[in-house]
Amino acid sequence: MKLLHIYPQKCIGCRTCEMTCAFSHLVGEQPGMSRIRIASDPLGRPGFSKVTVCLQCEDAGCVAACPANALWRDPATGAIYHKPDRCIGCHSCVLGCPFGNMHWEEATDFPVKCDLCGGDPKCAKFCPSGALVFK
Amino acid sequence: MKILINGRAVTAFNGETVLTAARRAGVEIPTLCHHEAVEDSGACRLCMVEIREAGWDEDWTKLVTACLFPVQEGLVVQTDSPEVRRTRKEILELLLARSPEAEPVRVLAAEYGVELSPYPEREDAELPNCILCGICTRVCQALVTGAITMSERGPDKTVGPPFGEATDVCIGCLACASSCPTDAIPVEDTGTTRTIWGRTFDLVPCAICGAPTGTRDQIDWLVKKTGRAAADFEICVACKTKATGEAWHRISW
Repeated sequence: MKLLHIYPQKCIGCRTCEMTCAFSHLVGEQPGMSRIRIASDPLGRPGFSKVTVCLQCEDAGCVAACPANALWRDPATGAIYHKPDRCIGCHSCVLGCPFGNMHWEEATDFPVKCDLCGGDPKCAKFCPSGALVFK
Repeated sequence: MKILINGRAVTAFNGETVLTAARRAGVEIPTLCHHEAVEDSGACRLCMVEIREAGWDEDWTKLVTACLFPVQEGLVVQTDSPEVRRTRKEILELLLARSPEAEPVRVLAAEYGVELSPYPEREDAELPNCILCGICTRVCQALVTGAITMSERGPDKTVGPPFGEATDVCIGCLACASSCPTDAIPVEDTGTTRTIWGRTFDLVPCAICGAPTGTRDQIDWLVKKTGRAAADFEICVACKTKATGEAWHRISW
Protein backbone atom coordinates (compact mmCIF):
# COMPACT_ATOMS: atom_id res chain seq x y z
CA MET A 1 0.00 0.00 0.00
CA LYS A 2 1.41 3.40 -1.01
CA LEU A 3 1.24 6.21 1.54
CA LEU A 4 1.54 9.97 1.34
CA HIS A 5 4.72 10.66 3.30
CA ILE A 6 5.19 14.11 4.82
CA TYR A 7 8.70 15.40 5.49
CA PRO A 8 8.03 18.71 7.23
CA GLN A 9 11.75 19.46 7.53
CA LYS A 10 11.89 19.70 3.74
CA CYS A 11 8.83 21.95 3.35
CA ILE A 12 9.75 25.39 2.03
CA GLY A 13 6.21 26.79 2.31
CA CYS A 14 5.88 27.56 -1.40
CA ARG A 15 2.18 26.61 -1.46
CA THR A 16 2.52 24.71 -4.73
CA CYS A 17 0.60 21.87 -3.07
CA GLU A 18 -2.28 24.19 -2.15
CA MET A 19 -2.51 25.38 -5.75
CA THR A 20 -2.27 21.87 -7.16
CA CYS A 21 -4.94 20.61 -4.77
CA ALA A 22 -7.37 23.41 -5.59
CA PHE A 23 -6.97 22.82 -9.31
CA SER A 24 -7.34 19.06 -8.87
CA HIS A 25 -10.65 19.48 -7.07
CA LEU A 26 -12.66 21.79 -9.28
CA VAL A 27 -16.07 23.12 -8.34
CA GLY A 28 -17.67 23.52 -11.75
CA GLU A 29 -14.91 25.26 -13.67
CA GLN A 30 -13.47 27.06 -10.65
CA PRO A 31 -10.66 25.73 -8.48
CA GLY A 32 -12.12 24.17 -5.34
CA MET A 33 -10.98 24.51 -1.77
CA SER A 34 -7.50 23.20 -1.10
CA ARG A 35 -7.50 20.22 1.24
CA ILE A 36 -3.81 20.66 1.95
CA ARG A 37 -2.63 23.74 3.82
CA ILE A 38 0.55 25.54 4.66
CA ALA A 39 0.42 26.47 8.31
CA SER A 40 2.03 29.84 8.75
CA ASP A 41 3.61 30.64 12.06
CA PRO A 42 1.44 32.56 14.50
CA LEU A 43 4.62 34.09 15.91
CA GLY A 44 6.21 34.90 12.56
CA ARG A 45 9.36 32.81 13.01
CA PRO A 46 11.37 32.50 9.80
CA GLY A 47 11.35 29.16 8.01
CA PHE A 48 8.34 27.98 9.91
CA SER A 49 5.75 27.32 7.20
CA LYS A 50 4.81 23.68 7.30
CA VAL A 51 2.52 21.60 5.17
CA THR A 52 -0.45 19.97 6.87
CA VAL A 53 -2.73 17.47 5.20
CA CYS A 54 -5.08 14.71 6.33
CA LEU A 55 -3.11 12.04 8.17
CA GLN A 56 -5.75 9.34 7.47
CA CYS A 57 -5.70 8.60 11.24
CA GLU A 58 -6.28 5.06 12.36
CA ASP A 59 -8.56 6.27 15.16
CA ALA A 60 -9.92 9.24 13.25
CA GLY A 61 -11.64 12.15 14.99
CA CYS A 62 -13.70 13.00 11.92
CA VAL A 63 -15.03 9.45 11.56
CA ALA A 64 -15.89 9.26 15.27
CA ALA A 65 -17.78 12.55 15.09
CA CYS A 66 -19.76 11.78 11.91
CA PRO A 67 -23.32 10.67 12.73
CA ALA A 68 -24.16 9.67 9.16
CA ASN A 69 -21.31 7.29 8.24
CA ALA A 70 -20.40 9.69 5.45
CA LEU A 71 -16.70 9.10 6.11
CA TRP A 72 -15.37 5.68 5.33
CA ARG A 73 -11.97 4.05 4.92
CA ASP A 74 -11.11 2.32 1.70
CA PRO A 75 -9.11 -0.76 2.69
CA ALA A 76 -7.35 -0.71 -0.70
CA THR A 77 -5.73 2.71 -0.23
CA GLY A 78 -6.03 3.10 3.55
CA ALA A 79 -7.46 6.56 2.98
CA ILE A 80 -10.62 7.98 4.52
CA TYR A 81 -13.07 9.25 1.92
CA HIS A 82 -15.97 11.64 2.26
CA LYS A 83 -19.17 10.50 0.59
CA PRO A 84 -21.30 13.57 -0.24
CA ASP A 85 -24.37 11.39 -0.92
CA ARG A 86 -24.44 10.33 2.71
CA CYS A 87 -23.33 13.65 4.22
CA ILE A 88 -25.95 15.62 6.14
CA GLY A 89 -23.80 18.75 6.50
CA CYS A 90 -23.73 18.91 10.31
CA HIS A 91 -20.14 20.21 10.54
CA SER A 92 -19.24 17.53 13.12
CA CYS A 93 -16.18 16.31 11.20
CA VAL A 94 -14.81 19.84 10.84
CA LEU A 95 -15.10 20.31 14.60
CA GLY A 96 -13.92 16.74 15.23
CA CYS A 97 -10.66 16.72 13.27
CA PRO A 98 -7.98 17.51 15.87
CA PHE A 99 -5.44 18.55 13.23
CA GLY A 100 -7.44 21.09 11.24
CA ASN A 101 -7.36 19.05 8.06
CA MET A 102 -11.10 18.96 7.48
CA HIS A 103 -12.39 22.07 5.73
CA TRP A 104 -15.82 23.44 4.92
CA GLU A 105 -16.33 24.31 1.27
CA GLU A 106 -18.97 27.04 1.07
CA ALA A 107 -19.38 26.63 -2.68
CA THR A 108 -20.67 23.07 -2.35
CA ASP A 109 -21.94 23.27 1.26
CA PHE A 110 -19.95 20.15 2.07
CA PRO A 111 -16.85 19.39 4.09
CA VAL A 112 -13.79 18.48 2.04
CA LYS A 113 -10.80 16.38 2.97
CA CYS A 114 -7.77 14.88 1.27
CA ASP A 115 -8.87 11.97 -0.92
CA LEU A 116 -5.35 11.19 -2.16
CA CYS A 117 -6.75 12.26 -5.55
CA GLY A 118 -8.27 8.79 -5.75
CA GLY A 119 -4.90 7.06 -5.38
CA ASP A 120 -2.56 9.42 -7.23
CA PRO A 121 -2.00 12.54 -5.09
CA LYS A 122 -1.14 15.50 -7.31
CA CYS A 123 0.47 17.51 -4.47
CA ALA A 124 3.24 14.90 -4.18
CA LYS A 125 3.84 15.08 -7.92
CA PHE A 126 4.28 18.85 -7.91
CA CYS A 127 6.05 19.34 -4.55
CA PRO A 128 9.41 20.79 -5.57
CA SER A 129 11.30 20.08 -2.34
CA GLY A 130 10.38 16.48 -1.59
CA ALA A 131 8.30 17.34 1.46
CA LEU A 132 5.44 15.30 0.03
CA VAL A 133 6.23 11.89 -1.37
CA PHE A 134 3.78 9.21 -2.38
CA LYS A 135 5.49 5.87 -2.09
CA MET B 1 -31.09 -11.84 -8.97
CA LYS B 2 -31.83 -10.33 -12.35
CA ILE B 3 -34.49 -7.73 -13.00
CA LEU B 4 -35.35 -6.00 -16.27
CA ILE B 5 -35.04 -2.20 -16.29
CA ASN B 6 -36.08 -0.56 -19.56
CA GLY B 7 -35.51 -3.87 -21.32
CA ARG B 8 -32.01 -4.32 -19.91
CA ALA B 9 -31.12 -7.13 -17.51
CA VAL B 10 -29.74 -5.62 -14.30
CA THR B 11 -28.25 -7.36 -11.28
CA ALA B 12 -30.14 -6.64 -8.08
CA PHE B 13 -29.70 -7.85 -4.52
CA ASN B 14 -32.30 -9.19 -2.14
CA GLY B 15 -33.77 -6.49 0.08
CA GLU B 16 -32.75 -3.48 -1.95
CA THR B 17 -35.14 -1.13 -3.70
CA VAL B 18 -35.74 -0.61 -7.40
CA LEU B 19 -34.16 2.85 -7.08
CA THR B 20 -30.91 1.48 -5.63
CA ALA B 21 -30.65 -1.21 -8.31
CA ALA B 22 -31.48 1.26 -11.09
CA ARG B 23 -29.00 3.91 -9.94
CA ARG B 24 -26.23 1.34 -9.62
CA ALA B 25 -26.95 0.30 -13.19
CA GLY B 26 -26.74 3.93 -14.29
CA VAL B 27 -30.46 4.34 -14.96
CA GLU B 28 -31.60 7.84 -14.04
CA ILE B 29 -34.72 8.16 -11.90
CA PRO B 30 -35.52 11.65 -10.59
CA THR B 31 -35.88 12.07 -6.82
CA LEU B 32 -36.20 14.96 -4.42
CA CYS B 33 -36.74 13.19 -1.09
CA HIS B 34 -34.05 10.50 -1.39
CA HIS B 35 -31.00 10.86 0.83
CA GLU B 36 -28.42 8.10 1.21
CA ALA B 37 -27.99 8.73 4.92
CA VAL B 38 -31.58 7.98 5.93
CA GLU B 39 -34.38 5.59 5.09
CA ASP B 40 -36.61 6.44 2.18
CA SER B 41 -40.12 7.63 2.81
CA GLY B 42 -41.70 8.01 -0.63
CA ALA B 43 -42.65 11.61 0.07
CA CYS B 44 -42.00 13.38 -3.22
CA ARG B 45 -43.48 10.65 -5.49
CA LEU B 46 -41.16 11.68 -8.33
CA CYS B 47 -39.45 8.30 -8.55
CA MET B 48 -42.66 6.67 -9.82
CA VAL B 49 -41.91 3.77 -12.16
CA GLU B 50 -44.11 1.26 -13.95
CA ILE B 51 -43.60 -2.35 -12.89
CA ARG B 52 -44.83 -5.79 -13.85
CA GLU B 53 -44.22 -8.69 -11.50
CA ALA B 54 -43.43 -12.21 -12.71
CA GLY B 55 -46.62 -14.06 -13.64
CA TRP B 56 -48.71 -10.97 -14.37
CA ASP B 57 -50.51 -10.59 -17.70
CA GLU B 58 -48.43 -8.92 -20.41
CA ASP B 59 -50.60 -5.79 -20.45
CA TRP B 60 -50.89 -5.51 -16.68
CA THR B 61 -48.69 -2.96 -14.92
CA LYS B 62 -48.68 -0.93 -11.73
CA LEU B 63 -47.16 2.41 -10.75
CA VAL B 64 -44.96 2.29 -7.64
CA THR B 65 -42.36 4.50 -5.96
CA ALA B 66 -38.94 3.13 -6.93
CA CYS B 67 -37.44 4.31 -3.63
CA LEU B 68 -39.71 2.04 -1.57
CA PHE B 69 -40.46 -0.91 -3.85
CA PRO B 70 -38.26 -3.93 -3.11
CA VAL B 71 -36.77 -5.83 -6.04
CA GLN B 72 -37.98 -9.36 -6.72
CA GLU B 73 -37.08 -12.09 -9.15
CA GLY B 74 -38.49 -11.50 -12.64
CA LEU B 75 -39.51 -7.88 -12.00
CA VAL B 76 -39.93 -5.77 -15.15
CA VAL B 77 -39.44 -2.01 -14.66
CA GLN B 78 -40.11 0.88 -17.03
CA THR B 79 -38.61 4.14 -15.79
CA ASP B 80 -39.56 6.42 -18.65
CA SER B 81 -42.82 5.12 -20.16
CA PRO B 82 -45.56 7.58 -21.27
CA GLU B 83 -47.57 6.68 -18.16
CA VAL B 84 -44.56 7.37 -15.90
CA ARG B 85 -43.84 10.68 -17.64
CA ARG B 86 -47.50 11.72 -17.38
CA THR B 87 -47.55 10.95 -13.65
CA ARG B 88 -44.29 12.77 -12.96
CA LYS B 89 -45.53 15.75 -14.92
CA GLU B 90 -48.67 15.90 -12.80
CA ILE B 91 -46.58 15.73 -9.61
CA LEU B 92 -44.29 18.47 -10.86
CA GLU B 93 -47.28 20.70 -11.64
CA LEU B 94 -48.34 20.33 -8.01
CA LEU B 95 -44.83 20.88 -6.68
CA LEU B 96 -44.40 23.93 -8.87
CA ALA B 97 -47.63 25.44 -7.55
CA ARG B 98 -46.38 24.79 -4.03
CA SER B 99 -42.79 26.02 -4.46
CA PRO B 100 -42.39 27.95 -7.72
CA GLU B 101 -39.00 29.34 -6.67
CA ALA B 102 -37.39 26.05 -5.65
CA GLU B 103 -34.50 25.44 -8.03
CA PRO B 104 -34.56 21.61 -8.31
CA VAL B 105 -38.34 21.70 -8.81
CA ARG B 106 -37.99 24.21 -11.65
CA VAL B 107 -35.21 22.23 -13.31
CA LEU B 108 -37.20 18.99 -13.19
CA ALA B 109 -40.42 20.71 -14.24
CA ALA B 110 -38.70 22.18 -17.30
CA GLU B 111 -37.37 18.72 -18.10
CA TYR B 112 -40.93 17.39 -18.09
CA GLY B 113 -42.30 20.28 -20.11
CA VAL B 114 -44.00 22.13 -17.25
CA GLU B 115 -43.44 25.87 -17.41
CA LEU B 116 -46.43 27.14 -15.51
CA SER B 117 -48.46 25.16 -13.06
CA PRO B 118 -52.19 24.97 -13.82
CA TYR B 119 -52.82 25.05 -10.08
CA PRO B 120 -52.97 28.25 -8.02
CA GLU B 121 -49.68 29.22 -6.39
CA ARG B 122 -49.37 28.86 -2.66
CA GLU B 123 -49.44 32.20 -0.89
CA ASP B 124 -48.10 33.53 2.39
CA ALA B 125 -46.13 30.37 3.05
CA GLU B 126 -43.79 30.39 6.01
CA LEU B 127 -41.29 28.17 4.19
CA PRO B 128 -42.04 28.92 0.52
CA ASN B 129 -39.41 26.55 -0.86
CA CYS B 130 -40.36 23.62 1.37
CA ILE B 131 -41.76 20.72 -0.66
CA LEU B 132 -42.32 18.54 2.45
CA CYS B 133 -39.81 15.93 1.31
CA GLY B 134 -38.96 15.25 4.95
CA ILE B 135 -35.21 14.85 4.49
CA CYS B 136 -34.62 17.38 7.27
CA THR B 137 -36.90 15.65 9.76
CA ARG B 138 -35.56 12.19 8.93
CA VAL B 139 -31.95 13.35 9.15
CA CYS B 140 -32.54 15.11 12.46
CA GLN B 141 -34.50 12.24 13.98
CA ALA B 142 -32.30 9.38 12.83
CA LEU B 143 -28.86 10.94 13.11
CA VAL B 144 -28.87 14.01 15.32
CA THR B 145 -31.34 14.87 18.11
CA GLY B 146 -34.85 14.78 16.65
CA ALA B 147 -35.65 18.44 17.16
CA ILE B 148 -37.94 18.96 14.19
CA THR B 149 -40.92 17.11 12.83
CA MET B 150 -43.86 17.43 10.44
CA SER B 151 -46.96 19.00 11.91
CA GLU B 152 -50.49 19.85 10.81
CA ARG B 153 -52.15 18.24 7.80
CA GLY B 154 -53.24 18.93 4.27
CA PRO B 155 -52.42 22.39 2.97
CA ASP B 156 -51.27 23.49 6.44
CA LYS B 157 -48.68 20.72 6.73
CA THR B 158 -45.33 22.16 7.69
CA VAL B 159 -41.94 21.40 9.20
CA GLY B 160 -40.55 22.73 12.44
CA PRO B 161 -39.97 22.18 16.14
CA PRO B 162 -43.02 21.18 18.21
CA PHE B 163 -45.70 23.90 18.27
CA GLY B 164 -43.41 26.05 16.14
CA GLU B 165 -41.58 27.19 19.24
CA ALA B 166 -37.84 27.42 19.83
CA THR B 167 -36.63 24.15 21.34
CA ASP B 168 -33.58 23.24 23.40
CA VAL B 169 -33.47 19.84 21.68
CA CYS B 170 -32.07 21.55 18.59
CA ILE B 171 -28.27 21.83 18.74
CA GLY B 172 -27.96 24.23 15.81
CA CYS B 173 -25.77 21.90 13.73
CA LEU B 174 -27.45 22.98 10.45
CA ALA B 175 -27.74 19.40 9.20
CA CYS B 176 -31.40 20.06 8.26
CA ALA B 177 -30.56 23.20 6.30
CA SER B 178 -27.52 21.64 4.62
CA SER B 179 -29.34 18.51 3.49
CA CYS B 180 -32.47 20.36 2.29
CA PRO B 181 -32.67 19.88 -1.49
CA THR B 182 -34.51 23.17 -2.06
CA ASP B 183 -32.62 25.36 0.39
CA ALA B 184 -35.89 26.06 2.17
CA ILE B 185 -34.72 26.38 5.77
CA PRO B 186 -33.70 29.89 6.74
CA VAL B 187 -30.47 30.23 8.71
CA GLU B 188 -29.11 33.50 9.95
CA ASP B 189 -25.41 33.71 10.70
CA THR B 190 -23.98 36.91 12.11
CA GLY B 191 -20.50 35.54 12.75
CA THR B 192 -21.05 35.34 16.50
CA THR B 193 -24.57 33.95 16.57
CA ARG B 194 -26.58 31.49 14.51
CA THR B 195 -30.37 31.55 14.29
CA ILE B 196 -32.38 28.56 13.12
CA TRP B 197 -35.92 27.37 13.92
CA GLY B 198 -36.60 30.45 16.03
CA ARG B 199 -33.68 29.94 18.36
CA THR B 200 -30.51 32.01 18.43
CA PHE B 201 -27.32 30.21 19.40
CA ASP B 202 -24.11 31.88 20.51
CA LEU B 203 -21.17 30.48 18.56
CA VAL B 204 -18.39 29.34 20.86
CA PRO B 205 -15.31 31.44 20.11
CA CYS B 206 -12.05 29.68 19.27
CA ALA B 207 -9.96 29.37 22.43
CA ILE B 208 -6.93 30.74 20.57
CA CYS B 209 -8.08 33.33 18.05
CA GLY B 210 -11.72 33.96 18.94
CA ALA B 211 -13.13 32.97 15.53
CA PRO B 212 -16.50 31.21 15.73
CA THR B 213 -16.51 27.40 15.98
CA GLY B 214 -19.78 25.53 16.70
CA THR B 215 -22.66 26.11 19.07
CA ARG B 216 -22.35 25.14 22.73
CA ASP B 217 -25.11 22.52 22.32
CA GLN B 218 -23.39 21.03 19.28
CA ILE B 219 -20.08 20.75 21.13
CA ASP B 220 -21.83 19.16 24.14
CA TRP B 221 -23.45 16.69 21.74
CA LEU B 222 -20.07 15.87 20.16
CA VAL B 223 -18.50 15.42 23.62
CA LYS B 224 -21.21 12.89 24.46
CA LYS B 225 -20.85 11.17 21.09
CA THR B 226 -17.06 10.89 20.94
CA GLY B 227 -16.06 10.89 24.61
CA ARG B 228 -13.48 13.60 23.98
CA ALA B 229 -13.01 16.78 25.99
CA ALA B 230 -15.03 19.85 25.05
CA ALA B 231 -11.78 21.83 24.66
CA ASP B 232 -10.93 19.63 21.64
CA PHE B 233 -13.83 21.12 19.73
CA GLU B 234 -13.40 24.71 20.82
CA ILE B 235 -10.53 25.50 18.46
CA CYS B 236 -11.17 26.77 14.93
CA VAL B 237 -9.86 24.95 11.87
CA ALA B 238 -7.19 27.58 11.11
CA CYS B 239 -5.77 27.39 14.64
CA LYS B 240 -5.81 23.58 14.56
CA THR B 241 -3.88 23.69 11.27
CA LYS B 242 -1.39 26.06 12.86
CA ALA B 243 -1.00 23.76 15.86
CA THR B 244 -0.22 20.90 13.48
CA GLY B 245 2.37 23.10 11.76
CA GLU B 246 3.81 23.95 15.18
CA ALA B 247 4.17 20.22 15.93
CA TRP B 248 5.90 19.65 12.59
CA HIS B 249 8.18 22.57 13.39
CA ARG B 250 9.15 21.04 16.75
CA ILE B 251 10.13 17.72 15.27
CA SER B 252 11.88 19.02 12.18
CA TRP B 253 14.49 21.36 13.65
